[in-house]
Amino acid sequence: MKRELERIEIPGEHEARERAWSLVRAAYAEREPTPQRASFVRPLLVAAALAALVAAALSPPGRAVLEDVREAIGVDRAEPALFALPAGGRMLVVSSVGAWTVAADGSTRLLGPYRDASWSPFGRFIVASTQLQVAALEPDGDKRWTLARRDVRSPRWGGSRTDTRIAYLSGGELHVVGGDGRGDRVLARSAAPVAPSWRPATFHVLAYVANGRVVAADAVSGRRFWTRRAPGATHVEWSPDGELLLMQGPAFLRVYDRSGRLRYDLLDTRRGAATVTAAAFSPQNGIAFVQRTRGRSFLWTIPRLRPDASAARQVFSGPGTFRSVTWSPDSRWLAVAWPNANQLVFVPASGRGRVKAVGNVAEQFGSGSAPRVAGWCCS
Amino acid sequence: MARSGRDERAWVRGAQAGSASDLEALFRAYWPRAFRAAYLVAHDAAAAEDIAQEAFLAAIRSLDRFDRRRPFGPWLHRIVVNRAIDWARARQLRAETSLPDLPGRTEPSNSLLLAPDHAAAGGNPQALAAAISRLPPEQRGVIVLRHLLDYTPGEIADLLELPRGTVNSRLRRGLDALKDEL
Repeated sequence: MKRELERIEIPGEHEARERAWSLVRAAYAEREPTPQRASFVRPLLVAAALAALVAAALSPPGRAVLEDVREAIGVDRAEPALFALPAGGRMLVVSSVGAWTVAADGSTRLLGPYRDASWSPFGRFIVASTQLQVAALEPDGDKRWTLARRDVRSPRWGGSRTDTRIAYLSGGELHVVGGDGRGDRVLARSAAPVAPSWRPATFHVLAYVANGRVVAADAVSGRRFWTRRAPGATHVEWSPDGELLLMQGPAFLRVYDRSGRLRYDLLDTRRGAATVTAAAFSPQNGIAFVQRTRGRSFLWTIPRLRPDASAARQVFSGPGTFRSVTWSPDSRWLAVAWPNANQLVFVPASGRGRVKAVGNVAEQFGSGSAPRVAGWCCS
Repeated sequence: MARSGRDERAWVRGAQAGSASDLEALFRAYWPRAFRAAYLVAHDAAAAEDIAQEAFLAAIRSLDRFDRRRPFGPWLHRIVVNRAIDWARARQLRAETSLPDLPGRTEPSNSLLLAPDHAAAGGNPQALAAAISRLPPEQRGVIVLRHLLDYTPGEIADLLELPRGTVNSRLRRGLDALKDEL
């Protein structure tokens, strides 16, 4: 029987071994041997917490899986506070109390009770929204102008240094207003609750979702350049060079060129893909995305796009949900909000090097729950 | 894989002292069976990879306080088999309706589920795997520990923290079920 058991073919056995070895080797390289092992282990562990998070069915009471190793929820050796950003720049963070800026040295400033925010194209301003207001802000929170509208969501600022526009959702409508707060108009009705995305290098091409389709349109004239079916799309984003458009839904991750031709279909949905919960273009046109399956989230990067995502590299995973994924301005780091661990995690995009984490983020951002990263701008 | 307890202790000692080559020797020696054991219990290649990988990462995390007088294999196998049993139980409870897959992993995760005529063929390792997959996770665990990893029922009882009689009965019921299937 033993011989038969050893002869059983396991799909992808060799690849699994090499992937595991690269992770084990990296973990070993990051390890810092010390006799004070107890100080490394985060207090947030133990069977009770694990059982609550991983589902009660996993382990019967009293049946300890590990004798001297217990799985921590969260990254070991997390910093107790956000002392500094690993790659400089400035970060926008949104918690339940409002929007915050975080400077490179870790200092934070509460901008106000905004529920969403994003940077202007060159990081000079911020557009933020409450439920009833769009506001253009200085980075210190001073208001340049405001606009009262109903049920405002997802304001996004695009354009050149001399001519900018802000797109935002109001109820089911997509609005566009000048960067000076003038000329507000409805660009589309029946818009889906998905943040619009301005195509960089042009101030007037906007991608948005309406009626189950992704639309690329001229925000000034209203002319549609192309539309593509994308039922269930949750995120659209132009690449930083403006050549590609990423469409994300729970079960798809596709990249189109600026003419609307499908260039990459990154998930093989024939076998049923795990749910995609977040995705983002890097400043260098790579992609990071998060999948969730079997109670765990997995952070992947695709440094070079290929039709079958074969260049995808898993760089981080953990139990629970990763709430957002954001690239650092230099493309070297990914910021992931991890509510289950109450951590903000900075993962090297290369998959090599030490993962850095900051704990207690809900408390730091005045919130009962972990915040999300809304942008990381301008090193 | 032929290896002596002395090799193993030397690798553990070397890895504790910072030798990457000793760590690699330890990994190469123990990964294949750890992964295979996880796979036979979980019956999902992606899950088996996660389970075995997490076990090794746990080993790295606790390397400094690992007691070199204790054998490494049972310690690792205990983690792997227990986690795989937990995973298999949870999966049964969740009653997955679709099989999630991740990019870059090109194999379907339920490829063990062979056609009935194939599975019926005697002496076929894939048929054996398919038959094991139909056992309860607890029976899979003891069969894998006994017949793949060569632990005695007494050692299995220690590893799983079960009465020896329970181990024996699970083994007997599991093997009887396999005999009927094959």
